[in-house]
Amino acid sequence: MMDIDAKGSEDIYKLFKAKEQFHRERARLPIEEKIKMLVELQKMAVDIPTPSKKNRYKRVWEI
Amino acid sequence: MEKAIKVINEMQASGIIKKYAVGGAVAAIFYIEPLLTYDLDIFFVPAKESEGLLVLSPVYDYLKGKGYKTEQEHIIIEGIPVQFLPVYNDLVKEAVDNAVRMKYKDTVVNVLKQEYLLAIMVQTFRPKDKQRIIKFLDEGNVSETLLEEILNNHQLKTRFDLFRRS
Repeated sequence: MMDIDAKGSEDIYKLFKAKEQFHRERARLPIEEKIKMLVELQKMAVDIPTPSKKNRYKRVWEI
Repeated sequence: MEKAIKVINEMQASGIIKKYAVGGAVAAIFYIEPLLTYDLDIFFVPAKESEGLLVLSPVYDYLKGKGYKTEQEHIIIEGIPVQFLPVYNDLVKEAVDNAVRMKYKDTVVNVLKQEYLLAIMVQTFRPKDKQRIIKFLDEGNVSETLLEEILNNHQLKTRFDLFRRS
């Protein structure tokens, strides 16, 4: 049982490490690529209702 | 976005604003993975001292004269909602003075250094700032020396250290 838990923990650790690596790689992309990704995020999020009045302003960028 | 940056560079060149730097989420995107935002924050040093919001008048007059329209607190420049924010305290003024020149496509753009962005986030300390601080520490390439110097100079070191330890 101990062995299975230890193996499970190791797998989870690897999974989190891989996730961290993925985010770091995205951080290193050229700014032009990242702005394109931002516009895609805006398109996905623009129709999702925002509960806060403060964050109500939404407009997809024309780049 | 390149066209919008060119317009802002022209504003600086023609003396409408003294100095500027991209701040907020777009500045963060220069250093960390993309995060959702709908506006481009421009921190600027006004060309002339004015009281309160009057400081924005030359900016808005110039841009409206060029045909750009306002939407709430934004002005839409070449399809990008831009929010102009006059430097509002010593830390933000110092951050703009020390901005770095970067490139977006073929255009030079002044962007706040990530250490100043972090210090401003520590100062404003909203929930979204706290999330971004964590991302910067994970994904950015932060100079610990410069960050510590800025935090110490603006009495923010204790708050940052407490947050980092939590």
